[in-house]
Amino acid sequence: MNAERFASLAEAWGGAIARWPAAEQDSAFTFLATTPERADAILAEAREIDALLDCAERLAPSMALRDRVLTGAPRQRAARSRAWRWLTGAGVGAGLVAATAAGLVAGVNLSLSAATPSEDEALLATLFDTGLGDELGGAS
Amino acid sequence: MPGNDPDQDLVARVGRGDPAAIQALVARKLPRMLQLAHRMLNDTAEAEDVAQEVFVRAWKQAPTWTPGAARFDTWLHRVALNLCYDRLRRRRETSMADPPEQVDGGPAPDRGLLARDTERRVTAALGALPERQREAVVLCHYQELGNIEAAGLMGVSVEALESLLARGRRALRGMLADLKE
Repeated sequence: MNAERFASLAEAWGGAIARWPAAEQDSAFTFLATTPERADAILAEAREIDALLDCAERLAPSMALRDRVLTGAPRQRAARSRAWRWLTGAGVGAGLVAATAAGLVAGVNLSLSAATPSEDEALLATLFDTGLGDELGGAS
Repeated sequence: MPGNDPDQDLVARVGRGDPAAIQALVARKLPRMLQLAHRMLNDTAEAEDVAQEVFVRAWKQAPTWTPGAARFDTWLHRVALNLCYDRLRRRRETSMADPPEQVDGGPAPDRGLLARDTERRVTAALGALPERQREAVVLCHYQELGNIEAAGLMGVSVEALESLLARGRRALRGMLADLKE
């Protein structure tokens, strides 16, 4: 990199080589290392413009603007989503309660049915009473 | 680039309506968007309107934001710049019928404070730059965007951006030559 290119880059991108295009930085640092006086003078001039630019007015957001911005934020969406989660949570809870209740009823029925002989057992008893069970047993 | 988006997680939380994330995004981006608009438009009320509108769009975008095409900060800049250019275009149309007052670049003896005067002079000089040069200076110097990102936002090559920057900074140096001492 020659002095002209180094000066052009400083004039455009400012006095911090780190903010120059990446492809030019290595060459620029080499120029700085090999020609420090010339490079420093160029960078110093660019830094003067940087410093002037930094003097420009800095407008800070007012509280009123923050409030205006936040007014449109997805709060209601969050509220709706919380409400929806609560409702779906309640729905799932109700479902679980209903399922548990149904399970209990079914369980009671099964217990009751387990306490009485099944139709299969009654049929087998009938078969053995008639002697057919012995024939079947002998065949086995 | 998308994998490196520092705002990705925050935006995802905003999209889910997380109040802390919403506050954090406003704290992180509102000053940045306001500065951008103020430096492009040189008008406080208009800059505030633009900043607010940027966030209206951000709130809409956040729930469906998909990292991939651009970083969220770059997307915000694009929205803000488009809004600024809409206003600048309207100004130009209005100015044909009703020319605005000239920017006073001279000293302000009633202010007294040198720093305040310098601040005002630099702001006025920046506002007096041609729009594209001003945009280049604002994106690269004030918003501290990388050269590829800034060039992409402006729709020009890095070489063209360099030319705009050089011309802009040269013009500023000329307008503010008396402040350099």
